Amino acid sequence: MDRSTIEKSVKKVISEILRIDEVEITPNANFIFDLGADSMHSIQLVAAFEEEFDIEMNEEEAFSVQTVAAAVDLIQNTLENRS
Amino acid sequence: MDCEQVPTTKDQLNNLFYPRSIAVVGTNRVRDSVPFDIFYNIMRDGYRGQLYPVSPREPSICDIDAYKYVIDIEDDIDLAVIVFPSTVCHLAMEQCGQKGIKTAIIISAGFREAGPAGAKRERQVKDIADRYGISFIGPNCLGLINTDPACSLNASFARKMPEEGSIALLSQSGALCTAVLDYARAHHIGFSKFVSFGNRADIDEIDLLLYLKDDPRTEVILLYLEEIRDGRALMDAARTLLEEKEKPVLILKSGATEQGASAASLHTGALAGSDEVCDAALRQAGIIRCRTVEDLLNSAVCIVNQPLPHGRCVSIMTNAGGPGVLATDFAVDEGLKIASFSEHTTLSLKKHLPYSSSITNPIDILGDAKAERYTAALKLSQEDENVDGTLVILTPQSMTDIGAIARGVKSISKKFDKPLYATFMGGEDVQAGVDYLESSGIPHFQRLQDMCKTFAVTCRIHERLTRTSSTVPVFSDTNQEKAQAPIDVSIQAGKSFLTEKTATELLYAYGFPVLPLYIAKTETEAVEIAEKICYPVVMKIHSESIQHKFDSGGVILNIGSEEEAKAAYRTIVANMDRAGKTSHVDGLLVSKYIEDGEEVILGLKRDPSFGPVLMFGLGGIFVELLRDVSFRIAPVDTASIEKMIREIRSYPVLEGFRGRPERDIQSIVECIGRLSQLALECPMINELDINPLIVHEKGKGSTVVDVKILLRGTEQC
Repeated sequence: MDRSTIEKSVKKVISEILRIDEVEITPNANFIFDLGADSMHSIQLVAAFEEEFDIEMNEEEAFSVQTVAAAVDLIQNTLENRS
Repeated sequence: MDCEQVPTTKDQLNNLFYPRSIAVVGTNRVRDSVPFDIFYNIMRDGYRGQLYPVSPREPSICDIDAYKYVIDIEDDIDLAVIVFPSTVCHLAMEQCGQKGIKTAIIISAGFREAGPAGAKRERQVKDIADRYGISFIGPNCLGLINTDPACSLNASFARKMPEEGSIALLSQSGALCTAVLDYARAHHIGFSKFVSFGNRADIDEIDLLLYLKDDPRTEVILLYLEEIRDGRALMDAARTLLEEKEKPVLILKSGATEQGASAASLHTGALAGSDEVCDAALRQAGIIRCRTVEDLLNSAVCIVNQPLPHGRCVSIMTNAGGPGVLATDFAVDEGLKIASFSEHTTLSLKKHLPYSSSITNPIDILGDAKAERYTAALKLSQEDENVDGTLVILTPQSMTDIGAIARGVKSISKKFDKPLYATFMGGEDVQAGVDYLESSGIPHFQRLQDMCKTFAVTCRIHERLTRTSSTVPVFSDTNQEKAQAPIDVSIQAGKSFLTEKTATELLYAYGFPVLPLYIAKTETEAVEIAEKICYPVVMKIHSESIQHKFDSGGVILNIGSEEEAKAAYRTIVANMDRAGKTSHVDGLLVSKYIEDGEEVILGLKRDPSFGPVLMFGLGGIFVELLRDVSFRIAPVDTASIEKMIREIRSYPVLEGFRGRPERDIQSIVECIGRLSQLALECPMINELDINPLIVHEKGKGSTVVDVKILLRGTEQC
């Protein structure tokens, strides 16, 4: 799966969980500071990413992710390591 | 305050307490969460300025339109209250800087207190704040409250705004603040300002104390600290508040500092633990140290609601004999005096009280006393010129009209410029009376001992405020250059201590009464010196590497003749040979043997927080066992030196105990003064023991018999 496809899916998931317009979800957007995610959202987001991409993310790494771009990176790495 | 950082300005602190506009950055709609409660409390408790919620995802908070970013707000913002999680506080701080905000509070936890990653976050936030010239409270704090109706600000997550009052509370702990507020509310205690400063990454207690000095709504400041970071700055600030504005600082200090637990090799180092030094330093600065939250608040209430006592003579008035006697014992334990009534008072009490009453102090007005009798006796007590204040005790008996008595106590309290404290003993029956007293500004105590203790505290404050000024002695006959030279040589040679001969010469350069020390390289030389300086003499090893000479068998005292001198020389040489230390010995020191006088110890130690600490006590080998010592921080004025000497339990020994002669106390005062000057002028001395200083009869001075000096940068010799 290429990066742009991952990014598109990531934005869709974030938009659904945080109920915000995809336009606001830029690569540099910080989940907490820009998108208003709280700790409950973080749990929901990780679960949704795992389901969306059929992966199991490293918990520590997943919860330390700050930005949308970093989430895309982590998912891409996880997918590559799986294959 | 770190010396590198830009100092917080008064305007910034004014923005902290009196902001015209506040942005709560990172708030949300989740009730009972810190980000919501902070915003809600500011709004609920009637903040007079403009309030802006900043929330990345909420369009409004409590029906007030929210901004996604603080930079989106068009108006100027005086104060940002940051409630974002710690991981993004740096982003919020960056935007506050871009917005031109100069004052902030970071409520969020997860910084230095949370480990290395948190400490890194704290540095990051601090760096951003410094770059933009932002001063901030926190992080990891409860927030701030200003009860002044002109502002009415509760930027905290305390449950309720406290009553308005003239007590300010500054606390390192947020949780303790909530407990204090709850206790205070139950006892009708009001506050002027209230700050939980948490990790004090920027604004600290010193900044806040100096701001409150000029706050007309604050009369007394309470401080809770877990660690004193800059003891000298704290002392200076507290002195300024007390001396310039008559505002006492009361402190509740928990925990022992790690510095105080450091290994020490001399007596002074071992005795001057962190808590002892802290205690002495706070007392020296006029800071009242309390041991419990209740003590802190009790004292504050007495200071703001009652006149300070002009002396220690108390009158105790009770309707029950037992509590009166107990209170008398507690009062005496606290250093108070039981007032002797004037003849006029005695006659008047006799006239107004029943025959079986006790008209001497404590006054027992008997169990059937009603308000009229209480009021009459209380008035006579307060009128008496020998009485500095009255302690009223009530026990609830079937005929005791508690409410009327409470009202009578209040009415008498208003009529005199003397303190009046009360203990209504009991629980349910006296509660209404207690409530009345507390809401009327009459200090009430659950326990008699607390009443007496607090009276003594207020006496100390008055004594401090009215004490005669005293100057720090300055000795012009000292030779700093001559004293410093051997220190420099020793440090360059990697030595951690000075030899006794060098240390003695250093003291001589500072005008201490030292004995000449002569070096003998042979037995014959030792005998020649002894005969020259006259017997009896002392011989001890002269060594660059052995400091504890007694332990090595390297000292012999009271050598009275040529034969004894020869024998002593051979014994010391044999002892060194047996201990395998001959190669460390550079000869023997011979000096006059002095025994006529009392042995005292003078010491010096550097404390990481308070600086040079001076110690005085009864000397000799049992000094660490008896711990009869007192401390002061250098520089120290003459009156404080005299008090320091009088403080030790064994002081009567120096005054002439059981037929022993009175000693030359003035010579001790002079030696401590010289030690204070030495401490300031030779900062490379880390520890110093003069033990013993032999104090001769009055008028005959004193003599330094032994001295040890450790140099800075050395842990142990």
